[in-house]
Amino acid sequence: MSQSTKGKLNYRCPSCFIRDIDIDLFYDADQEEFYCLRCSFHGDENRVLQLNEQAKFRYGLINKRILSFNEDNDALEVEIYKGK
Amino acid sequence: MKDKLLLNIIHRPELMPEYSINSTGESNIKKVISESLDIFKFQQECAHKNGLKTTIQMTYASLFNDEAIQLAKEHHEKYGDEIALSLLGLPCKQFKEKYKTDDFCIWMFSKEDKMAIVDDVFALFYQKFGFYPSSTGSYFLDSFTINYIKEKYPSVICAIATCWEEGPKAYRTCNNSWYTFFDGGPWNPWIPSKINSHCPAVNELDDAGIVAVPHLSRDLLACFDGNGSNFGTHPQNVIRGMIYYDNKYPYLFNLIDQYYHLRKYNEGYSYNMMFVGPGWLNKKGRWEAPYELLAKSYEDVMLYYGNLKKENKLVDQTMEEFAKYYRLIKKYKTPEVALWKDILYGSNKQYFWYIDPSFRFCLDFNQGGAMIDLRPYVAKIPQEVGIGTKNVYDASYPYLVQANYRAGFFTHYAGEGTIKSCRIHYKNESVDLCLTRTMAKYQKVDDCTIVESDVVDIVLAGLVIKIKSTFKVYEGKPEIITIRSIENDLNGEEIIIEEYINAGFGTTEYQSDLSNVVLGIGDETINYSYKDRSIASEENFSPYAIIPDVNTKITLIGDTHCHLAKAKEGIAFSPLFTLSIKKKLKKGYLETCLNLQKAN
Repeated sequence: MSQSTKGKLNYRCPSCFIRDIDIDLFYDADQEEFYCLRCSFHGDENRVLQLNEQAKFRYGLINKRILSFNEDNDALEVEIYKGK
Repeated sequence: MKDKLLLNIIHRPELMPEYSINSTGESNIKKVISESLDIFKFQQECAHKNGLKTTIQMTYASLFNDEAIQLAKEHHEKYGDEIALSLLGLPCKQFKEKYKTDDFCIWMFSKEDKMAIVDDVFALFYQKFGFYPSSTGSYFLDSFTINYIKEKYPSVICAIATCWEEGPKAYRTCNNSWYTFFDGGPWNPWIPSKINSHCPAVNELDDAGIVAVPHLSRDLLACFDGNGSNFGTHPQNVIRGMIYYDNKYPYLFNLIDQYYHLRKYNEGYSYNMMFVGPGWLNKKGRWEAPYELLAKSYEDVMLYYGNLKKENKLVDQTMEEFAKYYRLIKKYKTPEVALWKDILYGSNKQYFWYIDPSFRFCLDFNQGGAMIDLRPYVAKIPQEVGIGTKNVYDASYPYLVQANYRAGFFTHYAGEGTIKSCRIHYKNESVDLCLTRTMAKYQKVDDCTIVESDVVDIVLAGLVIKIKSTFKVYEGKPEIITIRSIENDLNGEEIIIEEYINAGFGTTEYQSDLSNVVLGIGDETINYSYKDRSIASEENFSPYAIIPDVNTKITLIGDTHCHLAKAKEGIAFSPLFTLSIKKKLKKGYLETCLNLQKAN
C-alpha cells in the first residue's frame, strides 16, 4: 500500500476536537477513509462532516444575537440571528 | 472618546507564513511571497473600504520586499495607517542564514540573541523607512525584551505583549506541540512593570515606558476553560472553533458587543484588538473551512466594525494613537474590571475579573462567587524566559488559585482543589457556597470596587439561611475583602460561617514541591511536609502562608468576633494548603480580608 496523505480539505479528527485537541486526519486511499494518528477514529468524509456538526452541540447561543446585556444580575436578552 | 469602543486593527505582511515555511520548496518561494502579499492587500482593503485605519506591522521578511515597503508607505499617506514593526514573522531565508535556527518566538531566544535580533530588525526598519517605529510586538514580550527595546529605541510607546490565557490549554489543543505558555496576564491593555511584563506597573519608577496591548480580545469565560484559540476577535479562530452555522457567526458580533459593554465597568472605556496573520486567510483554506468562508468572515467583521464607527460607537486608532490616549485616561492604580456573561454556551454563568498592580483574580458567580483564579502581581516575580534561563519557554505568571488546572470544589474521591469559598455549618450539616448558582451586580463607590451577589438560599437541618456575598477592593490596596451576611431571621439559631482558601502555586496543571512553604498563625509555624498537620487559634485570626517559590505571603484576616482560625498543610495526594476562619453567629456577617504581600 502507498503512504497516507491529506485530503483535499484538511480535516481535523472530530473525536479529538470534542476533547479540545486539533489534530489533522490522514487519508488512507486503500481503505478509502480518514483516520486519526492519536485516537482510533476512522471514517469517510460524510462521517467527518456529520460529527463536526454534532460537535457544535455545546454552543447553545451559536445562532443567537444578543439584543441586550440587561442588568448585571439578569440573563441576556437574545433572539435568533437574522443576518446573512 | 468616552463610551466609544476603541479599536486597534493590526495587519502584518508576513510573506513567509508559519504554515508554509516548512513545506515550501525553493521553487515555490516566489509564489508563496506573492500569495502572502495578496492576503495582506486583501486585509488592508477590507479595513479601508469600511473607513478603518490600521497599524501595519512590518515583519523582518517584509523589510526585504520592496512592494511591501511601498504599500506600507502608500497606505500611511492615503489612509493614515501607522507603519510599525513586528517581532513576529521572523522566519525567512535571510533570518535563517543569519541566526541558523528554526526558533521564531522572540521571548524564547537567549538574551544575546534577543538583543541582536531586535537591533537587526530595528536597524533594517530604519534603513527602509528613515525613522524608528512607535509600536512593536509579538505574541508575548518578556520584560527583558521590552526594557531593551525601550532603552535602545525610546520612540516605541506601544507593543503587543501577550495573548490572554494562552498556556497549557493552547499547548494541549495543538497536540502538545505549541510551546506558547503565557497564562496569567491582562485581557485588556495595561502599562507593564519593568520587572515582569504580565504585571501592571505600580508607579512611574516601575513603568516599562510602553502601553502593552493583548494579541486579540478574547472571551473571558470561554477561554478560561476551553481552547483560547477559538474564542477571540479573530474570525478564523471562531471558524476553527466551529462556532458557525450556515456560514453565519453571530458569536463574533456578540463578542465585540460584550467588549463594548465593558465600558460600564471601566469609566466609559472599552477596547478591541484584531490581529489576523495572513496564514489564516490561506487560499487553500484552513482545516475544513474553504477560503471563501475565511475571507467572508474577515469582510463581515470589518463591515461590523465599520458600521459601529458610522453609528458613532467606535473609534479606530493606530497603536500609537491608542497608547497616547491610554496614558491620558489611566492611572497606575486604576483597576481593569469585567463582569462577563456567557455569550456562547447559553448558561447564566457569570465571571467577575479584576486586575490592578496587586493581583489578578476571578470570581465565579455560578459557584456563589468562589475565587477560581488568583495571580499575585504584588510579588512582581522577576521571572526570566528564554534559552539560558530557568524558563526556556514557560512565560506564564504563576497562580495561587486556578480552579481548572488544580481542581476547584469538585475532586475525585479525596483531597481538595484550589479555590477560595465559604462553608455554612449548622448542627451536623454543612454546605459550600460553590453549590449555589447566582449572579452579581457591580458598583464603584469612590475608590472602592464592589461586587455583590444575589441572595442565595441554604437549607441545613431544616433551617433556611439566606446569604449574600459582597466583595470589595480599594484601589492601591493588595486586599480583597469578603463579607458573607445573613439576610434573614434565624429565629435565634446559631450557625457557623467558614471562609477558606485552598491554594498552591504554579503555571501548569501540576504542583511543584511545596516544601519551601511555611504556614503560620502568629509565631507558631509549620514547615510544609505533606503530613496533614494544622495550626489553630482562638485568639489570632490571621493565618498566613509564605510561598518563597513565588515571592508571596498570603494572609486571611478575620474580623474581631471570629472564634477559630486555621492554617493547614495538605498531603501528597492533595498538594495544597488551606487558610480558614470560622465565626459563630445568629445574625450579622463574617468579614474577612485576603491580603497579599511580596515575600522575599
